[in-house]
Amino acid sequence: MVVVKRLANQKTRRETGLDYVVGAMNLQTPFGQKLIKEQKPFLPGQEEELRLELSHIQKMMDIEKAHEKETGVLLEAFMMMKDNSFTIERSENAALSVVEIFELKSLLLLMDKVRKLTTEMAVPEMFIPDDINELLDILDPGGDRLNTFYIYDSFSEKLAKLRAEKKELERDIRKEQKKKKNEIREKHGISLTPKFDITVAKSDSRSIEMINEISDLAKLEEDYMSVTYALVPDEAVGAIHKRMDDITADIEEEELEVREKLSKDIWKFKDVLLENCQRIGNLDITLAKAIYADKHDCVMPEIVTEHVLEYTEGRHLQVEDIIKKKGGQYCPVSIALKDGVTCITGANMGGKTVSLKLTGMIAILAQYGYFVPAKSARVGLSNFMQILIGDSQSIERGLSSFGSEMEELKEIMDNSKERSLLLIDEIASGTNPVEGLALTKSIVDYLKTQQFISLITTHFETVTEDEDIVNMQVTGLANADFDKLNREIRYANRRERIEIIQKYMDYRLSRVDSSKQIPKDALNIAKMLGIDKDIIDRAKQYIK
Amino acid sequence: MYLLEELSQKYKRISIVGMAKNAGKTTALNYLIEEAMDEGLTLGITSTGRDGEGTDVVTGTDKPRVFLDTDTIVSVPTQLYDMADAGLEILRMTEYGSSLGQIMICRVADAGYVQVAGPVINANQMEMCEEMLALGADLVLIDGAIDRKSIAAPESSDAIILSTGAVLSRKMNKVVEETVHTVNLYRLPILDDGEARKEIEGLAENDQIIVIRDGKAVLLDITTGLGAGKLLDNEIDDKTTHVFVPGAFTQSVVADINPKKLKNVTFVLKDPTKIFIGATQWGKLCKRGLCIKVLENIQVAAITVNPTAPAGYKFDHEELVNAMQEAIPDVPVIDVMLA
Repeated sequence: MVVVKRLANQKTRRETGLDYVVGAMNLQTPFGQKLIKEQKPFLPGQEEELRLELSHIQKMMDIEKAHEKETGVLLEAFMMMKDNSFTIERSENAALSVVEIFELKSLLLLMDKVRKLTTEMAVPEMFIPDDINELLDILDPGGDRLNTFYIYDSFSEKLAKLRAEKKELERDIRKEQKKKKNEIREKHGISLTPKFDITVAKSDSRSIEMINEISDLAKLEEDYMSVTYALVPDEAVGAIHKRMDDITADIEEEELEVREKLSKDIWKFKDVLLENCQRIGNLDITLAKAIYADKHDCVMPEIVTEHVLEYTEGRHLQVEDIIKKKGGQYCPVSIALKDGVTCITGANMGGKTVSLKLTGMIAILAQYGYFVPAKSARVGLSNFMQILIGDSQSIERGLSSFGSEMEELKEIMDNSKERSLLLIDEIASGTNPVEGLALTKSIVDYLKTQQFISLITTHFETVTEDEDIVNMQVTGLANADFDKLNREIRYANRRERIEIIQKYMDYRLSRVDSSKQIPKDALNIAKMLGIDKDIIDRAKQYIK
Repeated sequence: MYLLEELSQKYKRISIVGMAKNAGKTTALNYLIEEAMDEGLTLGITSTGRDGEGTDVVTGTDKPRVFLDTDTIVSVPTQLYDMADAGLEILRMTEYGSSLGQIMICRVADAGYVQVAGPVINANQMEMCEEMLALGADLVLIDGAIDRKSIAAPESSDAIILSTGAVLSRKMNKVVEETVHTVNLYRLPILDDGEARKEIEGLAENDQIIVIRDGKAVLLDITTGLGAGKLLDNEIDDKTTHVFVPGAFTQSVVADINPKKLKNVTFVLKDPTKIFIGATQWGKLCKRGLCIKVLENIQVAAITVNPTAPAGYKFDHEELVNAMQEAIPDVPVIDVMLA
């Protein structure tokens, strides 16, 4: 048997809404963005670490509220950060380019800003970057801590001297050339351009003849119509040029030397720099979790050692976002699960599947170190989690819904182990009711004997008859005012009908006696949704 | 005369626009840079594309690199940084990308030649100019890689310097005539703030022809193009006061409009770069009473002339400058070859 080390497969992470929440994390730094992709769940035995992680989120929530302004500045600094870890790695054997050193200096300045801010905000120690001012002093010899960079003269006395010398020579050349330019104008009435050249049309033979006579001008280039002449450097200028070329080469060499030295210095700080990137990334993630939790009313789950999963007034975040966008109000659900089989039964459109997903969401968010969308939650860690639910992707793969269900059931049987959380949505509903029921019952019989928390939604009521099975029922339309509902629905269009039914639906779960019948709301709802009265009446006759 | 200082009082961002390829745009830029050195003005230099390469990519003609003095603020993409002969202090890494890496704003620490490139998108260009001004530039000069009149579109700068020269024609009067025509178009009157302007601005985004009758705007279901003129003629009646044309304004738009009607309406365009009508035709149309106004016009800050053409012929320097100045008396004309 293949040993699967992961907690949950990709589909489970998607269907429970973990991916949705992770995607909504507003991460600002490249380090945080990289780290979140590598995030791993906490497994049984790691309760203490998880509690610490969660306590950091709580801490960041408090800090964010107490230091609103500083948090804003911190996020701004985060936003400007770039991932320069490659440059840091490269500094071992290469002379970094000026652009690379500039970018690294920018990062160092930001790190220092984050260090000061986080110290001031009393962020947990493990998130505060180490002081890198020693390296900053090297890259910023002037000490003005401006976010600019150049191989400044102050990096090397030799460089400063060479540059000054070059400037002096440039001035000398220009002086000489200007002198010549004036001489030529006075003598020959010819004005050279600021670049000390002149273009003459070939047809202008008189000018060409004249210029050819001037020894200080030489043909620079020509095309079929015109000739360009330029000032010939005389001996004095030639000598200066030669000297300048030498100095320019020396300058380049010295600049390279400075870059090599700086690169070596940077490499010495490699460990602390990479560690700082890591800390900032972790801070970014923790702060993003805190801000998200605050915005979405999530709470710290209590992490316990026994294998239980309990929450009060839980809300599926993805569904809630949709309802909120439509201006509706989410009806929270509570449930308490422990090892054994629990069934969710009840009316169609009663939110059974959402409750199933919500249970998965709370469990998986907690294990990945997030706050959970509920009023309170108690979570015991699982070794394995899987949701078995129909999705469009299996249809795209060409499998029938029953076929893909069985495929996934096999995966569950192969991979589940002690402390598993299994969420199963209306298994075997896509086949004939006789075999479907039999299969469901035998699966339940198997699950009962395992140390799993199994939550199953089903319409087969005999499944719940067994005394060992906990039956949670959706309240549904049981307490709804049908007169009012019917009146409202009569004049509604198709889309409004669904919304009206949702409004009257009570999604809450309550534990019921195993022998209690599942309410038969299907025909009722079909009628409300506008199915022909004849068909509904005939169906009712069949039930009799 | 301190040309640049005077200009910097009036404008903060000036585009250098060529009338044609090889009209001497880069020569003009170099001239202005030297002028700034002499006047002690700190320039910001950027371009709408890669500029300053050794050879013009399009035409293969010689194109000098830009020599920049100490303290000039310049935009350089990362990949060209190491190729610069000047010493460049990096001040900012912008978010604007280019095919040659991200654009950086640098300060020239050691004078020398630089290959300049700037953001491609107009809005980014605007933001970067603002930043250059904040970093201490007195005036930002914007150069385009290819001489294109359309980059003179008003949103990219406060004013333009128009580079013109012998390349336009072997006849000097033709060079002057075409330049005057372009300047006249750029300076077309702006449609006054009022009901008509309000109506047009509200609907201009639809990219459709709008006629204003009796103070009310009507969107027409015709786009500019061949044959639109006849349809337009039908739509213009006694009560029509304005016609807004969103796209190119060509001869064919007005060709089929009844001359009597033409006199009585005002054509409105987004800006002067939408007009594609030659000087001669333009003169005839104006005589027939064509009246055009624009939502935004273009300030011409100065005109530079280049008396030599790459084809070899040249005009007399003074003659050209004088002829141009006489034709456009209120805009300074500079001969860039004559320092």
